[in-house]
Amino acid sequence: MVAVALQITDLVKRYPTGTEALRGVSLSIEQGEFFGLLGPNGAGKSTLIHCATGLARPTSGQIRVFGHDAVDHYEQARLAVGLAPQELNLDWFLTLEETLDYHGGYFGMPRRERRERTRELLAAFSLEKQKDDRTRTLSGGMKRRLILARALMHRPRLLILDEPTAGVDVELRLELWRYVERINQEGTTILLTTHYLEEAERLCDRIAFINDGQIVAEGTSEQLTAEYGVASLEDAYLRLVGRGELSRAHVPEIAP
Amino acid sequence: MKIKRQTLGAPLLETFLYISVFGAALGSRIDELEGIDYVVFIVPGLILMAWAINAFSNNSSSILQQKFQRAIDDQLSSPASPLELLLAFSLGGFLRGMIVASLTFGAASALVGVPVEHALVLIPSLFLVGFFFAQLGVLVGIRAEQFDDVSFAQTFVLQPLIFLGGVFYSAALLPEPFQTLTRFDPVYYMIGLVRYGFLGYSEVDVALALVLLSAATLALFLLNHRLFVRGYRLRA
Repeated sequence: MVAVALQITDLVKRYPTGTEALRGVSLSIEQGEFFGLLGPNGAGKSTLIHCATGLARPTSGQIRVFGHDAVDHYEQARLAVGLAPQELNLDWFLTLEETLDYHGGYFGMPRRERRERTRELLAAFSLEKQKDDRTRTLSGGMKRRLILARALMHRPRLLILDEPTAGVDVELRLELWRYVERINQEGTTILLTTHYLEEAERLCDRIAFINDGQIVAEGTSEQLTAEYGVASLEDAYLRLVGRGELSRAHVPEIAP
Repeated sequence: MKIKRQTLGAPLLETFLYISVFGAALGSRIDELEGIDYVVFIVPGLILMAWAINAFSNNSSSILQQKFQRAIDDQLSSPASPLELLLAFSLGGFLRGMIVASLTFGAASALVGVPVEHALVLIPSLFLVGFFFAQLGVLVGIRAEQFDDVSFAQTFVLQPLIFLGGVFYSAALLPEPFQTLTRFDPVYYMIGLVRYGFLGYSEVDVALALVLLSAATLALFLLNHRLFVRGYRLRA
């Protein structure tokens, strides 16, 4: 039997303002999978991630990370998850080395292991030279790499990437793809949210479309295009959001 | 502790200024209060104030800053329990206050000489004061949505309570109704305790003040713990 890395059942999240960000989401991501979650802004992607990592409290429903309930047994559940959030949420006063070291500390890693892992990650993400710099002095691309390194620090079995390539240049995007593909091949399960359909198509084994707080379709890229009767994932997506007319498949005539 | 000029340097300079202005300038006119040199009389209050304000402002501003940058999400998504998180956030300010208070004590001892009459009252009292204001800082930091909220609490609530609690004078010298009003200021009892610990002189019932301070600190700690468990303004 293949273990389930993330099992979400009937998840509802209603904010105090009354907004229902998630309206009964169920989702299952198997161990070792590279899973994509796509949807327009405000569809509920980040809320789902926040519920799975303890940053938001679910209103009802259940989240299990490798079998551990994310609310009742949050310690075990959170130990298994590494989160690279959308925002560059680094503490400005810390150096790069401290950022990784503190994170390891929050996750209960012994000092020696933290030191070794920090060195390893700074090298892997080409950040060794900056290790004593404060994070606020870094370029956007370096911050992005550091956030990914931080998410990997405690060797999570499930890595959650919330729009990791938003606003990064082409080189870094390709570099990040290579990193995460390798991490996935080494056995880490990955949940990726992105607005770049090419990214999802290239990286993800399976994809779910979320819209208005609900999962509306799920499958491989091929299954989704077949389901929507279109030629590309982008067209399937455009159908989902009701903007089929934007499809690049039918180029409008341009008047001479 | 990352910005030592602000976190350690500034409070030390402040204390030095208080001692010079109040001690040297005013002290030459006041001479003695309750049989104690004026400049020595104000030192316990200065040490308390250093610990209290630093514990408060460190915690309130660190938490708010981290909330702004969302850097706090790194801690919140870790396996740390609400109690561990609360203690970690509390101890930051508590320790900074302790360092500044110790440096203040050292500097004041070197400048004017400060006795320690009842260490067994002094040490628990100062620790309780530090922990109380550390908790208050955490509470204000969690509730705050903008920097103005933190500075409001410090300027309009904390500073007046500390100043009017009798750091620079004996409340017994005040005319009515201020003498009675002072008794409603919790800091008055804290200063009473700390002054007793250093100088052996107190206007308040030491045992009662210790019990009340412990109760208030515990109540504040339990309230904060509840807020951390609920994720109040921390987890959406």
